[in-house]
Amino acid sequence: MKDRLFRDILPQVAKPARYTGNEVNMIKKDWARSRVKMAFAFPDVYEIGMSHLGGKILYGLVNEKSPHLLERAFAPWPDMEEVMRREKIPLYALESFRPLRDFDLIGFSLQYELSISNVLNMLDLAGIPAWTQDRDDSCPLIIAGGPVVFNPEPFAGFFDAFLIGDGEELLLEFLDALEVNRELSRTEKLRRLSALEGVYVPALYSVEYNEDKSLKAMIPRFSDVPPMIRKRVVKDLDDAYYPVKPIVSYMELIHDRAALEVMRGCQRGCRFCHAGMVYRPVRERSRAKLEEQARQQLQNTGYEEISLASLSTLDYSGLDPLVKNLVRDYGEKGIGVSLPSLRVDAFSIELANEVQKVRKTTLTLAPEAGTQRLRDIINKNVSDEQLFDAVTAAFKSGWLSVKLYFMFGLPDETEEDLEGILNLLQQVKSIGDRYSRRPVEIRASLACFVPKAHTPFQWRTQNSIEELEGKRQYLFKRKRKNIKLSFHDSRTSYLEGVIARGDRKLSAVIYRAWQKGCKFDGWSEYFHFNWWMEAFGECQIDPNFYTERSRAYNEKLPWDFIDIGVSKAYLYEENEMAKMAETTPDCRQAGCSYCGICPSFEINLDIKEANNYAFES
Amino acid sequence: MLLRAKYRVGPELKFLANLDMMHLMNRALRRGNIPYALSAGFNPHIKLSMGTVLPVGLWGEQEYFDLELSRAMDLGEFMLRMKESLPPWLEIKQCWEIGSDLPSLMKSINAAAYVFVLQAPALNLDQWHAELLARESLPVASRGKKKGLVKDLRKGIYKIELLEDDIPKKVEFWVSVGEPLNVRYDELEELLLDTGIEKKTILDVYRSGNYVMQGQDFLTPSEKVK
Ligand code: SF4
Repeated sequence: MKDRLFRDILPQVAKPARYTGNEVNMIKKDWARSRVKMAFAFPDVYEIGMSHLGGKILYGLVNEKSPHLLERAFAPWPDMEEVMRREKIPLYALESFRPLRDFDLIGFSLQYELSISNVLNMLDLAGIPAWTQDRDDSCPLIIAGGPVVFNPEPFAGFFDAFLIGDGEELLLEFLDALEVNRELSRTEKLRRLSALEGVYVPALYSVEYNEDKSLKAMIPRFSDVPPMIRKRVVKDLDDAYYPVKPIVSYMELIHDRAALEVMRGCQRGCRFCHAGMVYRPVRERSRAKLEEQARQQLQNTGYEEISLASLSTLDYSGLDPLVKNLVRDYGEKGIGVSLPSLRVDAFSIELANEVQKVRKTTLTLAPEAGTQRLRDIINKNVSDEQLFDAVTAAFKSGWLSVKLYFMFGLPDETEEDLEGILNLLQQVKSIGDRYSRRPVEIRASLACFVPKAHTPFQWRTQNSIEELEGKRQYLFKRKRKNIKLSFHDSRTSYLEGVIARGDRKLSAVIYRAWQKGCKFDGWSEYFHFNWWMEAFGECQIDPNFYTERSRAYNEKLPWDFIDIGVSKAYLYEENEMAKMAETTPDCRQAGCSYCGICPSFEINLDIKEANNYAFES
Repeated sequence: MLLRAKYRVGPELKFLANLDMMHLMNRALRRGNIPYALSAGFNPHIKLSMGTVLPVGLWGEQEYFDLELSRAMDLGEFMLRMKESLPPWLEIKQCWEIGSDLPSLMKSINAAAYVFVLQAPALNLDQWHAELLARESLPVASRGKKKGLVKDLRKGIYKIELLEDDIPKKVEFWVSVGEPLNVRYDELEELLLDTGIEKKTILDVYRSGNYVMQGQDFLTPSEKVK
């Protein structure tokens, strides 16, 4: 297989290094001596999948800490797919070059709703039926994890099980249980696995709908099947496994650097933010641990950059000394530190200046909305002053280009809010003109707001494509000279919205869309909106049902059975407060705002470094 | 201290692009705790310069790089540490200390040898070889920058050798690279196809060496050191 690939197949495709494996630090375990054989499948192309931190964690965890084995597979780019289909090469894993069908288990990482079409395509390339009911005992079990599976229902038809929550807390348990029950039939196996906390086996539930098509009930088919699925949570990041010898790819990745996960979760409480709700509570890693992990990772990888990853790195309590020590220890060797997300305040800029001794290219900040009122509605606690302070500090210290992230189509948004975006941009521009010696570049990226499950806005309507297009034109017509606006595709966001709050009925549509040729839907050059619309039509499902309908508080939502720890009552309160433009402060600074997770999961905010300096904004 | 190293890029790594190879080397230097010198400026980089680009799809028997160190280091120690930090398919074969007055690899390498490994071709290779050498011009469609034009490779091909005893057969082309005439391996492949060799019989292609041609002599970049 490998010889054939190297000789006949790979010379025909672009970027062949995507498909060769054998990278530095790859772990190839002995096949015969390993217990459960699992493939980690990422439904996007290699350089995206290999940039993903969660995959690195699971890869090291299984291969280093268990008798099981984990190999990798990614979605082949369409040119490679074509050759594979023509030459009858099944989807294979990069470590052993074995077909995916030889594995006991294939675990997909779902980071983005629309990557589901690639999942179906990969299953097909592996020769595995897409629908769970079409798989026999010889087929690997197909499971999924990742942020998207906090609402697993739209994908229920394709996965034998979902793993909900922090993967490193659950995966080894799952593999051990699979090993113990190896001889059982597929159905029996799954039933045993469903007993593990955090494991959801969709086939074990029957679903009923009301006449208005909303969900009526989700009923476990057996008495030992749990009615609620509780996410798994790593309580102390210092005790959790973290890879210090990750694979170093040959080809350039999207994120090609040593990553330190300084914390998990975020407590700022932005009401639109899915990750902010589902990954609560905030848990930090101690600075000593991080510094040790940095040392080991750099020694083992030779990377030229360390990135401090988390949902909101500037909030890490030990950030200032951590950054200073990293710069002190590695700066001389030409190794830089990067802060992937900055907070909108002057402190962030100062810190960024300190680490970015490199050329000051583009600074990115995310005020998210144009007026204070709307920022209060979404609970993005940033003021105009903070933004102006931040950009003043930036331009004074030599940055020449600023990119601002906004959303449009937000709940209760008015023309004034759109006007507010333009005004902010204009003011940022004049600050730049005042303080910078050279002409400054101001860019804004505008994402369409998509209400997500498990957030306070889960009951809200999503703007229609027409509304979004109207707003886009409004903004575009009124924008001032020398300010660049770029907009997310409203059709992509629409579809994302349908699936994000979708139910089990959508599996049929997804399957149909894939049959029509949909894949790489996150890539504009491959996105075929009309095929998706045809698929909805043929399945007689109205997509607007999921986006344009505001849900009543007493409606049963398809994802209610997933217990993320944050209570529905809290989400309700937050949505009500949004209507009154009232804010909820950060629970780490202002005390508990009773989202529910800490008592319910017997866990606490885990702030490792006493230093509160980092979040005095 | 400046050093020049000769290394082998195994078939496992033949799909690496030039930038990938740079990254691989840079990261190996860091993993190996080699006292590399850094360039000055905002974005310091390791003072490593590679010889001519090894095309994607080819492996190489004798490739070269020059490296500047911030302090003197024993060459044996250097090789040992690099062996530990490089993947097994990339092997440093030899290295030499060089003077700072030596022209860079990029500037001095002006010839290369490519080997085509052929599964017993239908035609008589000896006859094919003789005919090829007898031709006055060897036109192929140009690749690279001047795509589409017809390019005569004849002047750029210094010799063609049949490595007789080997099974499968090997044909080695010694060609000019860089200015004024750059002969690419894919143009050589086209020449093979144009002259009766079937694509499916080409089992492998690799670069067997890089040379500095002086008069009729092919010197290796390491001989230039001495
Ligand atoms: S329970 Fe309280 S302290 Fe814990 S995350 Fe929720 S709001 Fe914060």
